[in-house]
Amino acid sequence: MKCSLFSLAGLASTALGARFALHVPNTQLVNPSTLPSSTHAILQSSGPPQEAYLTRSNSFNFYNVSAGSYLVTIHSRDALFEPLRIDVSLEEAVEGSGDKKEVIKSWQTFIGNEWDNKGESRGEGGNGVVLEARLLGKKYYFQERSGFSPLSFLKNPMMLMALFSMVLIFGMPKLMENMDPETRAEFEEMQKQSPLASGGAANPAQAMQNFDLASWMAGKTDTSNSRGHSPAPQGKKRG
Amino acid sequence: MRFHAALALAACLAPAVAIFEDDAHHIDFHHALIGRPKHDATFFQKPYAGSKASLLYTISQNNTIGAVNPKDGTLVWRHVPPADARGQTSLRAGEDQDTVVSAVGDRVTAWSASDGRIVWDARTPGATVEDLEILEQEDGITNSDSKDPIVLLSGAEQAIKRLDGKTGRVKWTFEDASGDTPFQLSSSPSTIYYISLHAPMLGGSKLRVTSISPVTGKKIDQYTLSSDGEIQNRDDILFAGANTAAPLLAWTDKARSVLKINIIGTKGVTSITPPSGEPVQDIILHAPNRINSLAHFLVEYKTRKGQAAEVYHVDLKKNNIKKAYDLPGLFGRGTFSVSTSDANVYFTRITLREVTVTSSASDKILGKWEVKGIASLVGSWPVQAVSEVVVKGGSATAVRTALYFSNGQWVLIRNGEVAWERPEFLYGITSATWAELAEQEALAHELEVEGHQNVVSAYVHRVSRHVRDLEQLPAWLQSIPNRVLSSVIGKNDESAIDEVQHDHFGFHKLVIVATEQGRLAAIDVGSQGKPVWNVDLHDLAPGVTFTAPSVKAFRGYVEVKDPASPSAWYVNATTGGLLSPVDLKHESPVTTDKNIITFDLLDGKLKGFLNSAQGSAEPIWTFTPPSGERITSYVARPSVDPVASIGRVLGDRRVLYKYLNPNLVLVTSVIEASQSASIYLLDSASGQLLHAVSHKDVDVTRPIPATISENWFSYSFTLSSSATSTRGYQLVISDLYESSLPDDRGPLGASSNSSTVQPSDAKGDSNKPYVLSQTFQIPEEISHMSVTQTRQGITSRELLVTLPNSNAIVGIPRAIIDPRRPVGRDPTAQEASEGLVRYTPHLLFDPKWHLNHKYELVGIKNVIACESGLESTSLVFAYGHDVFGTRVAPSFAFDILGKGFNKIQMLVTVAALFVGVLFVAPLVRRKQINTLWQA
Repeated sequence: MKCSLFSLAGLASTALGARFALHVPNTQLVNPSTLPSSTHAILQSSGPPQEAYLTRSNSFNFYNVSAGSYLVTIHSRDALFEPLRIDVSLEEAVEGSGDKKEVIKSWQTFIGNEWDNKGESRGEGGNGVVLEARLLGKKYYFQERSGFSPLSFLKNPMMLMALFSMVLIFGMPKLMENMDPETRAEFEEMQKQSPLASGGAANPAQAMQNFDLASWMAGKTDTSNSRGHSPAPQGKKRG
Repeated sequence: MRFHAALALAACLAPAVAIFEDDAHHIDFHHALIGRPKHDATFFQKPYAGSKASLLYTISQNNTIGAVNPKDGTLVWRHVPPADARGQTSLRAGEDQDTVVSAVGDRVTAWSASDGRIVWDARTPGATVEDLEILEQEDGITNSDSKDPIVLLSGAEQAIKRLDGKTGRVKWTFEDASGDTPFQLSSSPSTIYYISLHAPMLGGSKLRVTSISPVTGKKIDQYTLSSDGEIQNRDDILFAGANTAAPLLAWTDKARSVLKINIIGTKGVTSITPPSGEPVQDIILHAPNRINSLAHFLVEYKTRKGQAAEVYHVDLKKNNIKKAYDLPGLFGRGTFSVSTSDANVYFTRITLREVTVTSSASDKILGKWEVKGIASLVGSWPVQAVSEVVVKGGSATAVRTALYFSNGQWVLIRNGEVAWERPEFLYGITSATWAELAEQEALAHELEVEGHQNVVSAYVHRVSRHVRDLEQLPAWLQSIPNRVLSSVIGKNDESAIDEVQHDHFGFHKLVIVATEQGRLAAIDVGSQGKPVWNVDLHDLAPGVTFTAPSVKAFRGYVEVKDPASPSAWYVNATTGGLLSPVDLKHESPVTTDKNIITFDLLDGKLKGFLNSAQGSAEPIWTFTPPSGERITSYVARPSVDPVASIGRVLGDRRVLYKYLNPNLVLVTSVIEASQSASIYLLDSASGQLLHAVSHKDVDVTRPIPATISENWFSYSFTLSSSATSTRGYQLVISDLYESSLPDDRGPLGASSNSSTVQPSDAKGDSNKPYVLSQTFQIPEEISHMSVTQTRQGITSRELLVTLPNSNAIVGIPRAIIDPRRPVGRDPTAQEASEGLVRYTPHLLFDPKWHLNHKYELVGIKNVIACESGLESTSLVFAYGHDVFGTRVAPSFAFDILGKGFNKIQMLVTVAALFVGVLFVAPLVRRKQINTLWQA
């Protein structure tokens, strides 16, 4: 793996600084092979940042990285990546040998957090190490248009209330007709108690039409004024 | 995990002002540009062996590498190398390979031909790549597995290297210590030729040809060719054939009276005399670049009136060049292109009228197509071409040619018809401005005339104007049924694009742009960025070389200026025609302002002048930054910046008054030594300092974009690596209020009159704003900032930030970056009613805020916004490398019906209700009557 990632070579015989690669593993969310070729990683410390574009083997290769602490951000049109902190340092491999070698360490980091607040390690090693660049998810640019759907229309509470009262108005008389006379009598007796059924119990629709909400709200209980001839239809007839 | 949580939070915060998927690509447009393609590095090539369709690959003069789909002209992939690349750039592809190899500056890169991913990358620090060729054959055998590139380097290391085609590793190096100027590489089946310019002591220069073994990289032979002082530098060489069966070297004298050709590898020079008659202006050699094709080539002679051509054959055995036939001279401009099919060579001749295909073997015309011209190519001529020819049974059945026209359009002509065009002339816009359409301008002018007349004549003028308008009534009435029908069926987009006249919503606005190539063009932002006109500034102003032209819009015309010339040119905004200053007099706007204060950055100080008397008069104020500071930029509040409300209503119904000063200037300055940046807010009328703030640990080498609008300003910077607390990028937003207390108008609140020139006189305290700031940590660098603009300023604003790394423009809703967001606690009920949410130190850019959605906007330098006819909507135009335009509605499109409104459904619902009423009415009536009888 490392070999294929670093099959690329500088024409210059002398390589200064560290070199490493960030590899994008295949995830359930996004297949890195489908990412556009403009996907690139930025290594920022100070001054102009270093840039590396995505290669055919789904990695970003950095060369000649001098010692320092770097913020790595990866930008892609289609996917979101986790930001990383990469520290490059020169360390003696064996104490006192004087032979200094590059050591590369990487951690996840968090935007808006302290720089020393490092997260999980994303790999470390010497020159040519392959670190992990994690995908967080896909980017969704578009807003869904809230289109018309019959189901959402029915889910509306107002609609549910209307449908329920429709069932009551039209279903009740049918129900009453199918009842045996004894139960019906009992039911009618019950309805007489209820304020809604102050009108003709045989015709709930009409009762509904003539229902005096104001007086009901006021707690009026006498039923003398409503015997089917409410003022409204009469007035209409005379007019 | 924390990142996820933050992301989720950001998503909750965002009011959904994203683009609808069905609006995308309709309300916005994007010209993904490449620039002018280089002729010798543009070719049709199959992206992998066995592919059915080929792609058109090119590298442009600004080093952009791109692959274009020849079917519709869309970009398949593109790569923009850093701007500082020097040297000769080239792009080559080996036959049947799945890579294309580019050489730009010190980098040789192999790209995956089908998707543009990097395959390998080789660098030569200090050296520049002068030439790149692909070794097609080695000792006469084609190595189809992988073909190795050979590169010629100059600079720190003058050498020829053979790289491995699969990995980019160096196979061998041939060092050239002669000190010659390296020129080019050329290869034949058995040898690599290295051509250099050898400068002897006594003037002139000779061509030195070195042959190198492709296997070992050792020198085989070397000889020099005398050019009799005709070649002074590399530009004098007409042609140096690369990768042909018979590599050629051609040059001519200054008068173009004789053409000299050498077959590389031999010492003989053949002289060809151009046909007599018209003096020849230019000679171009067209030779196939396939190693196994016939060794035939075509010499094109361009004259003032037309062009002629001769076809020559090279005899490889006898090493001589023989003329095969003439192609007749034609009037009018045209060009030739070469294409190969197996070993056969075909020449395609393209003129404005026809496309003809001939074989190199005989002068018989194999195919001929008439060219159907289109409006955008009128007045221009083909400059360079590449073709693909299909020949069946001795006649050409199809030909497609990618042509670069003199007006900067890159066009593909398929069998005589224009298949697509790419407006490559729009590359490198240096300046752009919004211009009104002529109709609106005319009406505005008429209204202004009426406004300046007395009542009677104004009334007469108005009535006569209305009578004139009646002429258009029949046409308007006729158009009604069509418009209603199309709007109901929902095909109104297409018609709206064509009809600039029927612009009810003010979406059709022209943007006049000037490019660094010296072209001036107008783009209709409402019609998918269609170029309306396109002129060459060098035609308008002969003798001037435009480098960075700038444009400024006036009523109906545009002023063009260039740093290279003191004069200005005036161009009609609707037609692109040049106007003389005499024409402009009656069109000039009426200015009532007497005293105008202008300011400019001079000698590192910001100076204000009265009535633009720069240079001569003393500045009326000077802003000098503290010692050691350098002013990097300044930005002023836009001159047209309407504000709907002078205060901000708080949750408890009290008012925080905005500090609204039309003369605000924001100055950014840096100190390199201490890595700090300072921001100063000035009053440009008085030069008074209103507010100053300083930031430490700023990477001063990175841009610090800033913008100012209404009563707030914003800027952004990159934290330097010396910052210990946190790293990354920050965005700062500051609100300006008259007082920190609600219902208070500050020290000048009670006075009815105040002076901006002397804000701090008798009152004791100057009228300085109360500044409320907040900083957000952002995930990436911002290169440019601007603000949306609407007609009345009622609609809330969006901060438009350009993200160069994401290739995007993001519109951050102003409410999200409100500095009044409570810190460290949840908002109170009153604050919540203002729409304030708890402050979070990081601000993540929600993908739904991206104005460009899936488009990738490369190299955006500037974003300009403009009001549309609707209050809800602002027009946005971005330019630089690419060109992008869109409409944004920061508070939703509240004054227009969107595509979500289904007109057919509405009509059906109304009809259904009507039918329902018709049915139900008799039932209800009967029931009512029955009730009355029963009662």
